[in-house]
Amino acid sequence: MNQRDPRYTPPGGLLVVGRDVPRTDAIPKVTGSAQYVADIHVPGMLHAAVLRSPHPHARIVAIDTSGALAMPGVKSVLTGEDTPRIKWGAFRPDLYPLALNKVRYVGDEVAAVAATDPALARAALERIVVQYEVLPAVLSLDAALAPGAPLVHDDTTGNVAHHFNFERGQVDAGFRASDVTVEGTWESTRQWHAALETIGCVASWQSGRVTMWCNTQTPFLARGRYATALGVPESQVRVIQTEVGGGFGGKSGDDNASVICALLARHAGRPVKLIHTREEEFLASHPRMPMRYWVRLGFRRDGTVMAKEIRMLADNGAYTGKSQAILGAASVRHDALYKYPCARGDSTLVYTNLVPTGAFRGFGNPSADWAVEQAWDLAAEKLGIDVVDLLRMNAVEPGDVSPHNHKITSCELRQCIDKAAAAIKWKDKRNTHADNRGLGMGCSVHVNGRRSFGDWDGSSAIVRVNEDGRATIITGEGEIGQGALTVLRQIAAEELGLPYEDVDITRPDTDLQPHSLGALASRVTYVAGNAVKSASRAAADQLLEAAAEQLKRPASELTIINGEIGPRAGPESEYKTVAAIVRANIYKPDGQPIIGVGTWDNPSDFPDHSRYGNESGAYNFAAQAVEVEVDRDTGEVKLLEIAAAVDCGTVIHPAAAEGQVQGAVTQGIGYAMVEYFDWYNGTPTDPNFIDYPIPTAGMLPKMHVIFADSYEPSGPFGAKGLGEIGLDAIPAAIANAIADAVGVRITELPITAEKVHRALHPELYASDARTVASAPKGGLWNRLMAGKPAGAQPFSPELVHAATVEQAVTLLAEGESALVCGGISHAVRRERTGYPQAQRLIAINRIPELNELSVDGHGVLRAGAAINHQKLLEDEQLRGPWRALYDSVESVGHTRIRRMMTVGGTVGPLIGGFDFPVALLALGARVVVASPAGRRTMTLEALFQARLEKDAVLVRVEVETPAVRTGSGFLKLMPRGVIETPTVNAAAAVTLDERGRCASARIVVGSVSWKPIVLDLADCTGQVPSENLFRKAVQPVRDLAEPMPNVRGSALYKRHMAVELAFRALRVAAQRAL
Amino acid sequence: MLVKFTLNGDPVEVPLKTADRLLIDVLREDLRMTGTKHGCGIGACGTCTVIIDGDPAAACLQLAALCEGAQIRTVEGLAGTHSLHAVQQAFVNRSAFQCGICTPGHIMAACSLLDKNPQPSDEEIRASADSVYCRCTGYVRIVEAYHEAVRLTARTLK
Repeated sequence: MNQRDPRYTPPGGLLVVGRDVPRTDAIPKVTGSAQYVADIHVPGMLHAAVLRSPHPHARIVAIDTSGALAMPGVKSVLTGEDTPRIKWGAFRPDLYPLALNKVRYVGDEVAAVAATDPALARAALERIVVQYEVLPAVLSLDAALAPGAPLVHDDTTGNVAHHFNFERGQVDAGFRASDVTVEGTWESTRQWHAALETIGCVASWQSGRVTMWCNTQTPFLARGRYATALGVPESQVRVIQTEVGGGFGGKSGDDNASVICALLARHAGRPVKLIHTREEEFLASHPRMPMRYWVRLGFRRDGTVMAKEIRMLADNGAYTGKSQAILGAASVRHDALYKYPCARGDSTLVYTNLVPTGAFRGFGNPSADWAVEQAWDLAAEKLGIDVVDLLRMNAVEPGDVSPHNHKITSCELRQCIDKAAAAIKWKDKRNTHADNRGLGMGCSVHVNGRRSFGDWDGSSAIVRVNEDGRATIITGEGEIGQGALTVLRQIAAEELGLPYEDVDITRPDTDLQPHSLGALASRVTYVAGNAVKSASRAAADQLLEAAAEQLKRPASELTIINGEIGPRAGPESEYKTVAAIVRANIYKPDGQPIIGVGTWDNPSDFPDHSRYGNESGAYNFAAQAVEVEVDRDTGEVKLLEIAAAVDCGTVIHPAAAEGQVQGAVTQGIGYAMVEYFDWYNGTPTDPNFIDYPIPTAGMLPKMHVIFADSYEPSGPFGAKGLGEIGLDAIPAAIANAIADAVGVRITELPITAEKVHRALHPELYASDARTVASAPKGGLWNRLMAGKPAGAQPFSPELVHAATVEQAVTLLAEGESALVCGGISHAVRRERTGYPQAQRLIAINRIPELNELSVDGHGVLRAGAAINHQKLLEDEQLRGPWRALYDSVESVGHTRIRRMMTVGGTVGPLIGGFDFPVALLALGARVVVASPAGRRTMTLEALFQARLEKDAVLVRVEVETPAVRTGSGFLKLMPRGVIETPTVNAAAAVTLDERGRCASARIVVGSVSWKPIVLDLADCTGQVPSENLFRKAVQPVRDLAEPMPNVRGSALYKRHMAVELAFRALRVAAQRAL
Repeated sequence: MLVKFTLNGDPVEVPLKTADRLLIDVLREDLRMTGTKHGCGIGACGTCTVIIDGDPAAACLQLAALCEGAQIRTVEGLAGTHSLHAVQQAFVNRSAFQCGICTPGHIMAACSLLDKNPQPSDEEIRASADSVYCRCTGYVRIVEAYHEAVRLTARTLK
């Protein structure tokens, strides 16, 4: 190998590995030419839509599809009765492609349509009539395990889908020998992958064979499962992997989408495309499995860990997928992290009538770490040892063997702990311990591949060296964004002695490549990397043999460097190009191409029923330190800094590796404190990114990513995997940091501001009568409860442009009409409720009068109804006297949304939660309204009392220049840290007299009642502004608020926050008045 | 109903299947310009960000009928025949993508910012990057790519 050649040896001996070469997928991805599954168009293609169960548990009495079939353009309608009726699933086949007899969760697939147009397919679902007999449902672990509970699957008694236990070593003796024990129960929650590309498939049959373009992570495993479900041999399914727009475990072939697509295509005799809507992705993809995890740890006084015991229940949802393996990983994997001498466990997988759970980056470990890494933190406190020192002294080392026979090869966990602690300045900060700030640490261990699907965790690859000197890697492993194509090319180039640019790689197509398992279990770099390296070695050896013959020198004297072959110690003039060698080797009598074949199997054991066995040939490790600051008055947790130190062996592509850790940490943050829903009757009440945001750039802390100096002897060039390790311990590390900061420990995910606030101020919640949640209301919920899809359009409105305000009023008065200006209300309503706003849309965006923004000679600001928030923001005048207005439009967050939010669209609906009207009310704004009776000017406050008539048009708002010495401000509470619907918004205006006393003070609070609360604080008049004065003055808000509980907080929390925000707005306004 | 607008410099005229057809469907289905990606349908994720008259816009909320006469830019309109746009090059240089599905949205948001403000502050950059979801990267390299694009653009102008 070239690394031994003194002329070319760089530090470390590697030419390609370890460098940030340009990523293979860069150009297609930045130019928009990459072909994702939704971008694929096949001639004659139909579009699919799926009817889903609105009930968590029901018997299907009858389905009438005749209405849908009668629609022109509908080509196929299928129900469970029309399918092969084969149950499928990775370990425990329990899922029909379309429900037979019974539905088991809200979102369960009941019928499917293929039609010539996507909207038509969705509209056809409205014509399918399903008669259900609703059955009692089990919507929690406790309900499912209660004696006599309804059965999710009739053949599974007690709803126990899987159970196992283990006892390794002398656990009771270990606890008896312990000086200190800690124990507790921790609950984790669902988390959706939320890949920005939803699950999809295009399927096309020819002569009994189906080609499926899938965005799957695991083409060969998907092929096997789909073949089972379709009732055909595996080789008759051809899976072609499209570009994958994010996987994280969610696209590993456990859901029904692709199977339904292929069934429709077979039935219709035409290609069919099926793409999940975002809503379907939330209803029917398989999120992270929640667990109730009890753990007990025993320690000697010096900190040595003596024993561990766990008991765990996991929520399987309605179908199993890979859940059994997830249960296993969550039960035993953590025991390879510290030097546990013994461990006992009992784990149960429980069916519920909830969305099936499945593989998600971390594969059970985040739930285990959520419990156990917090238990270690508790232990450190009890032992009086800094947790960093405690973890460090118990960390596993090379040569250790876990109680489950995990054999630790390379391991730099202590180095990771040290480097994470150093990066975040752990010792300094712990010593000074600033108010309300805290530090937390968590560690984790992960496999690199795992024997899950039979006694093989291997990969095979072919490396062909072409007659032009370039090599082609033929592998079915595939790219899901993690950089696999690039890393495999680097490994091949390094082993072959070719420049990176001279190595190409194929994309997965199960007809063409050797068997492989795909992107799961952090295995591609380690397992596939070894297979590619082995194939490359075979090809290189063939090249050297060919060159030996041609150069008349023994192969042992030759080397390949940068695409040339020659004597290792000889002059450059004796080198020939690889191209010349290959060409000469083919074009001769009995010539042969250069083709290297390599297969590599993970040196691991197939675990037994109790999960005993070395899961993986190598393990990767991480230590993560987090610093937080807690706002005691709102419960908000601000992440200040995160340091993630990872042992993944040799780093092959530093940029991609850093990106893996940064992305995993961010998903961990999302899991900990951003991503959660409101639930009712077994389903999220608003399954989209409104209730379930993911972390955004603005909320993230400073992030340090550090790689340990490490080398794994069994890995390709010393490398191990790292896809998952960065996520696992983050939620626990955050909880540990909160405990350090303010002394309260959160044991149930997600960590919400409200939970922190409740824990800090239990007295404020003493009177909290927990009410039974009432059914959600509104068009979205109605549609969900009818089982209808998003984006269906039962009718199309017409659109007319109004030239003047008066014309708009006249058109409105004709009825069945609605105004559009930015268009946002209409588009959102159509997507969410399924219905357009009205039969006729009257576009008012071009009316000149509505586009006026000016300040007149008397200092009156006039903003026409069509003026958008972005224009307001860019108007310098707003930053002066009308500061609350500026704050409110600025707080909307993004130019993208601001340009669609107009004055009319935010003020006209008179909704208490919008930001702009709250600010306008604080400044005493007027509105000009046109109606058939003529125009009138009134205060916005009066308009909120009166409502806007159906045929009235809001023309503009007018705001006087506030009096001298007036300050105003607007702020809102969005405790998840991302831009979203606020929990509370508030504005205030304060005018001071010449002596600096309050002349007037007004506060406005939105989002906590139907109309904003407007309060003129007479008690403040004549008083010197002070925190005490303001705190007292805003108290009436508590009783005036009538908040609705939802995902943003309980009614009582919102009530407290309404008071807090009113106070803060007042304080800001008073400061600005000075 | 017909709508006329300028798409990446070229005049286009599209018959709208429905009066409230969304710009994203016009681009992806009617014009087969699939570089703009669909993320959520409610304007939350920014995956479908395009530039309309200089401002970033969510194509999934934009009624195409209201785009009459507009200048619309999509990711397909950025690169020259033989060279990438500075923002695209910056995303390549910094490996500021993983799965790539949000990349067109992030690139269009960045282009819109840099067109208006070639020397944005770090805060302005973060505010722009904050407008588009990314599930893979943790945004660190995306913010770096904005800074890289500022450098590349400044170099080109010299």
